[in-house]
Amino acid sequence: MKLLTHNLLTSHVRGLRPGGGYPLGIQATEVKLSPVDFNAQFVARMVPKVQWAALLQAAQSLGHGSDLPPEPAPGYESDEDFLRRLHHVLLEVEVVEGILRCPDSGHEFPITKGIPNMLLAEEET
Amino acid sequence: MDFVGQQPNNSEQEIWMEHEATQLEKQHVHSVYESTASYFNDLQSKAWPRVRQFLLEQKPGSLIADIGCGTGKYLAVNSQVYNLGCDYCGPLVEISKKKDCEVLVCDNLNLPFRDQCFNTIISIGVIHHFSTKQRRIKAIKEMARVLMPGGQMMIYVWAMEQKNRRFEKQDVFVPWNRALCSRPFSESNQTGDKNELNAKNQDIHLQQFTGSECAYAVNPKLDFDSKHSHSTDHCLPGTCCMKMSEEENRFYRALGRSFRLWFFSRSLDESALRKQPEKVKQEKNIGRWTNSAISIQPSRHCSLDLGHPGPLLKERSLDDDEVFLESVSLGKAQWMAASNATRDLSGEQDIQSKHEETSSLSGLMEDKDCSCTCKKDEGDKSPASKLFKRTSTTDSTDSILDAAVTVGDQTTGTLDTKAFMRYYHVFREGELCCLVEENVHELQILSSCYDHGNWCIIAEKLGKSLQTEQHKNFKVA
Repeated sequence: MKLLTHNLLTSHVRGLRPGGGYPLGIQATEVKLSPVDFNAQFVARMVPKVQWAALLQAAQSLGHGSDLPPEPAPGYESDEDFLRRLHHVLLEVEVVEGILRCPDSGHEFPITKGIPNMLLAEEET
Repeated sequence: MDFVGQQPNNSEQEIWMEHEATQLEKQHVHSVYESTASYFNDLQSKAWPRVRQFLLEQKPGSLIADIGCGTGKYLAVNSQVYNLGCDYCGPLVEISKKKDCEVLVCDNLNLPFRDQCFNTIISIGVIHHFSTKQRRIKAIKEMARVLMPGGQMMIYVWAMEQKNRRFEKQDVFVPWNRALCSRPFSESNQTGDKNELNAKNQDIHLQQFTGSECAYAVNPKLDFDSKHSHSTDHCLPGTCCMKMSEEENRFYRALGRSFRLWFFSRSLDESALRKQPEKVKQEKNIGRWTNSAISIQPSRHCSLDLGHPGPLLKERSLDDDEVFLESVSLGKAQWMAASNATRDLSGEQDIQSKHEETSSLSGLMEDKDCSCTCKKDEGDKSPASKLFKRTSTTDSTDSILDAAVTVGDQTTGTLDTKAFMRYYHVFREGELCCLVEENVHELQILSSCYDHGNWCIIAEKLGKSLQTEQHKNFKVA
């Protein structure tokens, strides 16, 4: 699971307050780094689509928090250093084994072989 | 809950129906895909051209979700976008993952994504697996929820109207054809297997088309050939499948046209159930009432949704996108033997008594004609029959349609068999459009068409972007 994916994921346990399932906390037992070709334009286009605070938190939990600024600075589109770091955090850091935890309910979704399992039992939905 | 002898009230009925729907899908969608996942691989998966085209047209840097991605054949079409695939079936998702796709396991009815996060969504051959209208609506609404305003969604579902004929009913079971699958996709088999794989595929192919033109899912435990009994669902495909083609032919011949017992023409939905409240029982086995609603449609693919079956059928001059085989005439007598394979759908044997009463209902319950005003592609404004001429040039949809049988009467044969019957609700012309127009107002249909046995729509999400709102609300604790 890449951190870009994680940024889109939310818990959907029944009864949560709006926003109560986001962002999911990451507890990783195995992380890998997978090289991905850098495409500056692609990464720049991701910036408005990600929830920055959630991304920061996720990066921090995996030890990559210092790679990113607290907010994307104006003119980020042409800041290659920034874009490369963002590229690394979003696309190259992968959680292979671990748990995603719902912030409000504490419900845990497992990540196995890089695949998050977001299914809930019938009674939980 | 036991409804026998009393009228259930609406909410009890709804809960019961929802439970039944879930059970039906569990048995005849999810567990089939799980059990057969190891047989799928790239050789058989082919992307529909129109879907590929749609994906390639998306703006670079888009976030695209393939909801119901299966083995991920669409996830690598466009490398300029971020492709995220999800599927209910873990084994299929694992196959995708091996191809380095970004994937996850989830439920279409409850997507684990925040609102409005995708630029584009595709749903190819998925919605037709939901067994009630409400669930189909919910699935589409969920996808609309996670789509950004201005973003587009493409949906493909099986059409009731196939090339020259149509499915007789909208709710069908399609047997899975194991023989058309290549060997299991497993770790231990990966190295050095390719030659063997191709050789065996060739053999299967040649055997497949002697005698009968049809090939169908075969339950390895069918009674009429004890040599091929297996104790597991995953039989060894190499030798086993080759021997099975004879069995399969017999099985198929046995599905007699005269054996159609039409109970309901509607899908699993409220009005169908309301007609027979006293017959309704709460059961773990979903067979009871669902039998009556559904017909069996044989298929030549191990998964029609995956498109072309690959090298197995190269020698036939079949259009890549053809889904069905030539028809075979079938005799009634052999149905009894073949019905063994569908026993798991019945649960009980005393359905005869329902027949008389319910067969008279079938005529009453045809879906109403949709009166919505959905647009079609220019040039597709002609009636459906003209549409068919524009697609495949081969005549091969007839077999499945000919062999369409309602699973109603499993009075004989109590073999414990699993024919991997997959449930489909096939869509009539205009039905998908209407479903969206009437129930999912946040989507506006841009175009619709008929493509290789599927109804296809492209719709756009209406509304304003939440983006600024989201930045305010989603604060990290």
